[in-house]
Amino acid sequence: MEGELLEADIVLASDLSFKKIQSHEKYPKGQSRGRWKHLKQILQAENFHDYPPEEPNYMNIESPPSTQPCKRICDITGYEAPYVDPRTNLRYANAEVFKTVRSLSSEQVHQYLSIRNAAVVLK
Amino acid sequence: MPFVSKIRRQTDYNSFPSSIPIVIDNGASYFRIGWAGETEPRVVFRNIVQRPRHKATGETVTIVGDQDPALMKYFDCTRSGPRSAFDSNVVYQFELMEYILDFAFDRLGANGSVINHPILITECVCNPVQSRSKMAELLFETYGVPAVAFGVDAAFSYKYNQLHGICKKDGIVLCPGFTTAHAIPFVDGEPVYKGSCRTNIGGYHVTEYLKQLLSLKYPFHSSRFTWEKAEELKLEHCYIAPDYAIEVRKFKEGTKEAEEKTRYWQLPWIPPPVEIPPSEEEIARKAAIREKQGQRLREMAEAKRSSKINEMENELQSLRFLVKQLDKVEEDDIPSFLSDTGYASRQELESTVSKVTQSLRKARGEPKEEPDESEENAESLAEKYPLMNVPDNMLTPEQLKDKRRQVFLKTTTEGRLRARQKRNEEELEKERRNQLEEERRRENPEFYLEEMRAQYKEVLERVEQKKRLKTNGSSTNGNNKSGGGVGRGERLSAAQRERMRLLTTAAFDRGKGEDTFGSRDEDWQLYKLMSKDHDEDDERPDSDEAMLARLSSRLQEIDPTFVLKAEGESGQASGEVPRARPLTEEDYKIVIGIERFRCPEILFHPNLVGIDQLGLDEMGGASIRRLPHGDDKELEERLTSSILMTGGCSLVPGMKERLESGIRMIRPCGSTIHVVRAMDPVLDAWRGASAFAADLNFLRNAFTKMDYYEKGEDWLRKYQIRFNNL
Repeated sequence: MEGELLEADIVLASDLSFKKIQSHEKYPKGQSRGRWKHLKQILQAENFHDYPPEEPNYMNIESPPSTQPCKRICDITGYEAPYVDPRTNLRYANAEVFKTVRSLSSEQVHQYLSIRNAAVVLK
Repeated sequence: MPFVSKIRRQTDYNSFPSSIPIVIDNGASYFRIGWAGETEPRVVFRNIVQRPRHKATGETVTIVGDQDPALMKYFDCTRSGPRSAFDSNVVYQFELMEYILDFAFDRLGANGSVINHPILITECVCNPVQSRSKMAELLFETYGVPAVAFGVDAAFSYKYNQLHGICKKDGIVLCPGFTTAHAIPFVDGEPVYKGSCRTNIGGYHVTEYLKQLLSLKYPFHSSRFTWEKAEELKLEHCYIAPDYAIEVRKFKEGTKEAEEKTRYWQLPWIPPPVEIPPSEEEIARKAAIREKQGQRLREMAEAKRSSKINEMENELQSLRFLVKQLDKVEEDDIPSFLSDTGYASRQELESTVSKVTQSLRKARGEPKEEPDESEENAESLAEKYPLMNVPDNMLTPEQLKDKRRQVFLKTTTEGRLRARQKRNEEELEKERRNQLEEERRRENPEFYLEEMRAQYKEVLERVEQKKRLKTNGSSTNGNNKSGGGVGRGERLSAAQRERMRLLTTAAFDRGKGEDTFGSRDEDWQLYKLMSKDHDEDDERPDSDEAMLARLSSRLQEIDPTFVLKAEGESGQASGEVPRARPLTEEDYKIVIGIERFRCPEILFHPNLVGIDQLGLDEMGGASIRRLPHGDDKELEERLTSSILMTGGCSLVPGMKERLESGIRMIRPCGSTIHVVRAMDPVLDAWRGASAFAADLNFLRNAFTKMDYYEKGEDWLRKYQIRFNNL
């Protein structure tokens, strides 16, 4: 290892005295799959519906949808957007923005839509 | 700058007796570790891990936290970006967590055989029990920790501020963090998690939003907007508007205030070298050279032509000579005479002579001697077809035949005439249409151009869509290379679909039972239908394609910036700055105006990024509603008069005012609303935890390895530290 690296000491040592099991023993090389679960899997395994409903848990403390009127802003400029382009589904503020909307490539449109989670994903 | 890493290795680890707990604030963005009772954490770093390959040795190494990018040149990071052990504030990747803890303990100076100190570590509100037990297990089994306690970071922050008189024993803590925002009500100095609520939005989303908006706004510079740069821009420039609608209107109208609020970021820009136009002399020299070359070519062509003419003249002469000699020869001797020359008969020889004469004339550039087709008029008609108007019964059979021929000739010439007329008319029509368009253009050139462009784009899209449908629906996934296997999820092209339909009808139309396909002759027509490809559609000119051709040629005429899109590359070229115009410094200037407050606005309206949950201000109200307090108005009053905001995002300017006005809107008229910012929204959680762990009774809230294995999962799920029995 280069001297500069050793001096900066940024690489984690593979053996540490205070550990009972070293990580390279615990996680042998080449077996990286299935060591962890996604949060979704963790939550599914939790059986929240078996827990008493009056007890707070990760699922039921999640906040509900907003009751305030949904704010619609122009996807491109951020102005308030009274209009929606029926072809691209982008929201726009005025005729000038509409010109830009129509000049966007379909890829850009897709990106704009995916920002607010409205893009159609074809599978 | 509130976020500063501290990763120097500590040397005084051994001077702490084993009774002193280690305190860890395990936040989704930053990891902080230190000793109970101290006011500052000893080690702070970004809670991320990278596992790149060391270039020289080829082994995979582990790098924790943010490191000097200059040193990363020794590593191959292509396959491993920075990763976090968190998903929405819950630790789920314990392998990464272990590397992080390794690094943290190492930097704290640990060097014994185990970590022989009790540990207080933070977690999110209502952490799923699986995550909690994995963490406990990791600490007990791998590090040999004697006792562990879990607490909530926002609660520690509130308690710490309560201790310093910033907030009261009843109140609400609002904690917009890195990936989630929490609201937790406090009653009598104890957090009531029943009343807490969580929205999955935080500083990470703000940064991501800013990054995406900027890279869409400046596609040419999108590589400049790394996550780290966006984070930096956010910390430096973002603020929360008191009212989004009013603020945005200022920008829309371009007021002076908005102008002052707009920030610019000038990217390094080097003016392109100016090309010196070639001098007069050089132009003249080049023209002379070209002229010389042209002259040479012309001379060569001339020489070639004259030699050809010569050749032909010679041939003609010899042929004529032959004919003359032929005249002298007896009739019977002709075949024997001609056998030497290669001609079979006199006729053939004569036709050759006339052919050569004609080509010679052509080569010399003389006009062809052809009966020119003069326009037939009514008078000549009668002359030409004299038998036309004579009744059949007055004619001999011979003449009748002639008459039929004349009729036929007449109709064909007339037909030809009609066709010519029609062509002329069409041309006139076209001319007229062009003139009309020209007029329209002259009236309002800009609008016309715009319209043309829009039309062009529309048609282009339609044509491309059609093409795509026709060729193959699944061309993107590359599965159709072999041409065979059409899987379930893939879309078929029109031709494939048609083939499938034919096959299925052939299979099912005959009903079940024996296979009779082929017994009738029509059955075999199926193959003809099937092999018919979509190509035949292309033969008949598509109206769209014709339109496209017309539009593009027109645009090429009138629009200097118009570039004809080559086939198959539409869409790809979108990210480029138009090349027609030279780039200027202005193109390298990033304007950050509305984005400054548009991005943090998502904390109050998560809807803007597609998260359908309550905003930060509404969370306060929801939290009060969830609290089981039996409509105690006085308690509500007390809660709203002591709202503490903590967590990284509460550092954004304008947060306090916005929260106050937002909560005032959802609370009954006249209620006291008081929002305060924590003394240090970033570090107070750790400080509160440190103070909590420093209390002599701390161990009553912690549990040992034995407790962990004896009491079971249900107990661990309900486990909660108590602040008041200290």
